[in-house]
Amino acid sequence: MAVPRRYAPSHEWIRLEGDGTATVGISAYAVEALTDLVFMQLPEVGRRVKAGESFGEIESVKAVSDMYAPVAGEVVAVNTELPQRLESLGQDPYEAGWIARIKPDNPADIEGLLDQTAYDALVGKQSR
Amino acid sequence: MAADECLAAAAVDHGGLVIRLYRWETTTVSLGAFQPIAAARACEAIAGIPVVRRPSGGGALVHGSDFTYAVAVPKRHVWGATPQSLYDAMHTAMIDALAAWGIKAQLATPHSEADKSFFCFERRAQGDVVTMHPSFKGVGGDIKLMGSAQRRLADAVVQHGSLLLNSNADVDPTVRHVGLADVAVSRGIDPGQFPDWGAELIRGIAKTLGQQVEEQGSFLEACPRGLQARRERYAAASWINRR
Repeated sequence: MAVPRRYAPSHEWIRLEGDGTATVGISAYAVEALTDLVFMQLPEVGRRVKAGESFGEIESVKAVSDMYAPVAGEVVAVNTELPQRLESLGQDPYEAGWIARIKPDNPADIEGLLDQTAYDALVGKQSR
Repeated sequence: MAADECLAAAAVDHGGLVIRLYRWETTTVSLGAFQPIAAARACEAIAGIPVVRRPSGGGALVHGSDFTYAVAVPKRHVWGATPQSLYDAMHTAMIDALAAWGIKAQLATPHSEADKSFFCFERRAQGDVVTMHPSFKGVGGDIKLMGSAQRRLADAVVQHGSLLLNSNADVDPTVRHVGLADVAVSRGIDPGQFPDWGAELIRGIAKTLGQQVEEQGSFLEACPRGLQARRERYAAASWINRR
């Protein structure tokens, strides 16, 4: 059974894994809105982040956008192949396009984020 | 750059679009947020010219003979949701202003082969302001007059843009770009008659939004966390040499 993703209003997704870490990426909607991606700066492994804190940056042809940590915790891994394969973000944003793994300070915080229905409603509102 | 962060805060507080127009005291190169500093150091055509780094993306700009703007909108603004909407809005307003003075220009379609160029004005992104002219052959056969790039923050978007008024004599002729004045002269238009493009741009934006212009000169004083700390950050070698 697939573990449901949760979303931050800033369009990062997060999924709690069986080992207690949480995988983080950016949503398909966000990738599409950014258009052609050209560069990504990953977070540093070992860095402690607060919820909502910028922990990486992504550049498209026209814009640089911050990526925000959906929950507080420690960055324990990053997808080092991703900056060389940015197309993965568009092709497979929820698997091959993962960005980082965070060890959440409080895994229950993930439940407080947007579920799929609420996130779809947010996207629908922003797309209008 | 520091002032532009304050501009974003002002846009969020104000709940609408805030714009800042400025010129440069001396010829200066601004790099895009992630352009390698080594590329600037290796470019002999701009040797000796001071270098700063923008928080926004895009290619390097040689400032000094251009008109520069920074605009900020809250993300919930009608032009804040996607990069293209603010880009097109500002550039369409400038195209309308140019048309009123006899310079026909249009929004560019992308030329992907040029997107990696070091200089902004050699790149083409969808929505750049370009003009066609048989005497000047730039990338794709057109001349780029204006380009912009954004920094998308948590609650606001800041967009920097540059309209090249005159070809910049401080850079080597091999990379010197055709300016608006050159285009005007070639079409029999006296650039000395041109208006204040900033005022024209603001008038166009306000007209598109159906809103009034409100002068708000003191937003820097109300800047949260202070302007000085932000200035020090952007002036630091760690920022300029970050990549």
